[in-house]
Amino acid sequence: MGGALSTSVDITLNSLVLGGVFLIVATGLNIIYGLSRVMNLAHGSLYAIGAYAGYTLTTIGFNYFAAIVIAPVLVAAVGLLLERTIISPMRKRSMVYTLILTYGLMFFLDGLIKQSWGNEPRFVELPAMIKSTIPILGSHYPVFRLVTLFIIAGVMTGLMLFLNKTKIGIILRAASTIPEMVSCLGINMKHVHIGAFVLGCALAGIAGTIAGPLTTIDPLMGHEMLISSFVVIVIGGLGSLRGAVFAALLIGAVQTLAEFFITDLAMVIVYMLMAVILAFMPRGLLGEGRFE
Amino acid sequence: MEAFLCTEDLCRHFGGVTATDCVCINIEHNGLRSIIGPNGAGKTTFINIVTGRIPASSGKVLFQGCDITNKPTHELVKMGICRTFQITSVFKDLSVFENVRIARQARKGGSLKIFSLKKHLREVTEETWNILERLDLQNLAAEPAKNLAYGDQRVLEVAIAMAGTPTILFLDEPTAGMSPAETRHISDLIQGLAEDISIVLVEHDMDLVMSISDAITVLHYGSIIAEGQPDDIRSNELVREAYLGKEE
Amino acid sequence: MDKHLTIPDNDKGITAYKIAAITVLIAGLALFPFVITNRFYISLINEMLIYGLLAMSLDVLLGYTGLLSFMHNAYLGISAYVVGLFLIHISPSSLWLALVAGVIFTSVVALPVGWVQVRTGGLAFALLTLAFGMMFHTIVWKWYGLTGGDDGLMGVPNPAITIFGWKIGDSGDPATMYLFTLVIVALCYLLTRRIIRSPFGAVLEAIRENEERAAFIGINVRMYKLFGWMLACMLAGVAGALFILYKGYIGPTTMSAFAGAGVLMMVLLGGLGTLWGPLVGAAIFIYIQDYISTMTEHWEIYLGMVVVLLVLFLPTGFVGLGSYFKRLGKE
Repeated sequence: MGGALSTSVDITLNSLVLGGVFLIVATGLNIIYGLSRVMNLAHGSLYAIGAYAGYTLTTIGFNYFAAIVIAPVLVAAVGLLLERTIISPMRKRSMVYTLILTYGLMFFLDGLIKQSWGNEPRFVELPAMIKSTIPILGSHYPVFRLVTLFIIAGVMTGLMLFLNKTKIGIILRAASTIPEMVSCLGINMKHVHIGAFVLGCALAGIAGTIAGPLTTIDPLMGHEMLISSFVVIVIGGLGSLRGAVFAALLIGAVQTLAEFFITDLAMVIVYMLMAVILAFMPRGLLGEGRFE
Repeated sequence: MEAFLCTEDLCRHFGGVTATDCVCINIEHNGLRSIIGPNGAGKTTFINIVTGRIPASSGKVLFQGCDITNKPTHELVKMGICRTFQITSVFKDLSVFENVRIARQARKGGSLKIFSLKKHLREVTEETWNILERLDLQNLAAEPAKNLAYGDQRVLEVAIAMAGTPTILFLDEPTAGMSPAETRHISDLIQGLAEDISIVLVEHDMDLVMSISDAITVLHYGSIIAEGQPDDIRSNELVREAYLGKEE
Repeated sequence: MDKHLTIPDNDKGITAYKIAAITVLIAGLALFPFVITNRFYISLINEMLIYGLLAMSLDVLLGYTGLLSFMHNAYLGISAYVVGLFLIHISPSSLWLALVAGVIFTSVVALPVGWVQVRTGGLAFALLTLAFGMMFHTIVWKWYGLTGGDDGLMGVPNPAITIFGWKIGDSGDPATMYLFTLVIVALCYLLTRRIIRSPFGAVLEAIRENEERAAFIGINVRMYKLFGWMLACMLAGVAGALFILYKGYIGPTTMSAFAGAGVLMMVLLGGLGTLWGPLVGAAIFIYIQDYISTMTEHWEIYLGMVVVLLVLFLPTGFVGLGSYFKRLGKE
């Protein structure tokens, strides 16, 4: 039956796209936490800012692909400002205070978003060349979703190359395991912290910009993404990239399936799944997590 | 005779590194056993496994004939297995008295009395004073632990462990970072304790170890390379090599 | 008195001076509806008391056990819905039965959630409270048939307030309801104060100070964390029952993440680990909220900003400000 096949193609591809967005956001959170021990609860809001920035750039005449490059840079700049003003003074304080501070920051940013763009949902206008659909195994799949999938793969590959092949990337990875050693090598840990935070924010910005056309853009999108990326991190294990890839695809699939069949309670299913996994595997599915 | 505490082929791997490699040790009732070895010999790892801080990869820990491998820490304390930490670990914002009192209470019971007051646990209060007096901390009783001098914090560390009325007490480098005078104070203290209970001491100060130990176990790369009286260890070739390297 | 039976403590316990202060405060609050009969002010103070109780319950968790709950309001909400549904569907006149049902149901929900949460460390615990809180919010919001969804639960009857069968007044009357709330909140405060100073409270503080060391003196850390969590959720349940009785209405926004941030801010405003501080913090918060939300629709921006500034510059809250000035005076 062609219908069932095309539906399953749709569901598979949609799961991959959604999982990819989760993965980029969760990786950003992981990088910031791994390098500077800050769990940034405003991460979802930065993701939303990325989406709104992409929207505004396209409405004032920028090409969609240009927006995907410019918007993350803007979000990274916001990240730099935040790191210098309020995040860095918190570094010596207890984890509880950092969490409360970034929680406050989340509402502050959400309030600013509402004030600047209003409560009503926004839609991103796509360039004509990727607006069409292409037939895949009986399904008419939107081209831009495939393009998004390629962008996600590109971003993650680029990130891996950066972390594994470049000098800065290797320093960052070393700093996440033994910060004392890295500072002994004469590398300023302050710069590592700034770099990690800005990189994490840029990733949130990229995810927001590419997620814009996939959904409607509204002020609550950040909250939902924050929770989803927590779920990814908790299931995958904090600080574990392999775990995050696995968990992001799993959550992407579960959420896509759940939304397809039982619209309203999709998130409830995801939370339940997380609770069950945590109850029996507190360090994540692959057992690589390090919660302190 | 059945050993008081012994391990059978105890192993622990971290990734590819074997920190504890098939350690079999017999610790007798009463007396002072020291565990020494060069840096990275796996001394702290060994204590961590036996006291339940980290799980063993394989092997067994037996205490008075019972298998206690990988049991939760709080259950081990109830059996009389207590420890101190290499890096001072006290309740920083609580007073010195409360630090010891809560440890006494945790061991003695009464933690679930939600409607009574702390002072109603009269025996706990009394015994806390006794411990403080024995360790000469009674004048600092009301002071928050974080205000104490480093040496006094180390003594408090021992006081907290003693409040658990251990039958076997593991001391992880109790004199680390101490002045000679403070070291003497701690050393007298340990000798006094060893009269009543079994003590396992991890220590780098060789003069201290040689003068107070009843028996010494030497670890190197996670395995036992020598065991015996202080004099035997002093003259042991393998131990000399482990510490100084092989003479060519 | 034998020296060996005294505990050297910086906290002097309950002194005559404190008893006098508490009595005057409660008497003053009790006389309030007879002096000022304006319904608006009565219900404003009533709300301060209810949220004060909620903030105090969060302080038991955050200030004494060292565990962060982002959405403690979820447990107020669950209890309020249960009490409301009980009064609507089961028995419109059984006030005490409804209250007990609310607290019991909240505990039944909180137990498995707490069980999962305490298995993880401090950070994951906090993240999980957020996830579970949002889950409860989603359930309440989407389960239209039971909860009324977005519209909220309306038409909750006002049962008579009785003590041992003796009718005191009607919960629909603001002044009576206010006095009832005052009595319950005062009782909860005194009870919690006693529990915090008990040997049990000492265990919670030890866990807050140093979790690993607590385990190495023989404390079953997970179990006591769960007890602390349950105590905090039951108190939040009491607050929820008072909430629905006084408002006669509850909607999903009361259980939102945003409302949860408000509760955290109340605790921060007042000062962590003081119990009475969060009560004061709640009063300040409710007053400011009432004042600002009439002036701007972007209340979120200000709430967020104040939380950030508080954490950066005044982490000990207003209670801490007092001791700060005391220290300044001495120097």
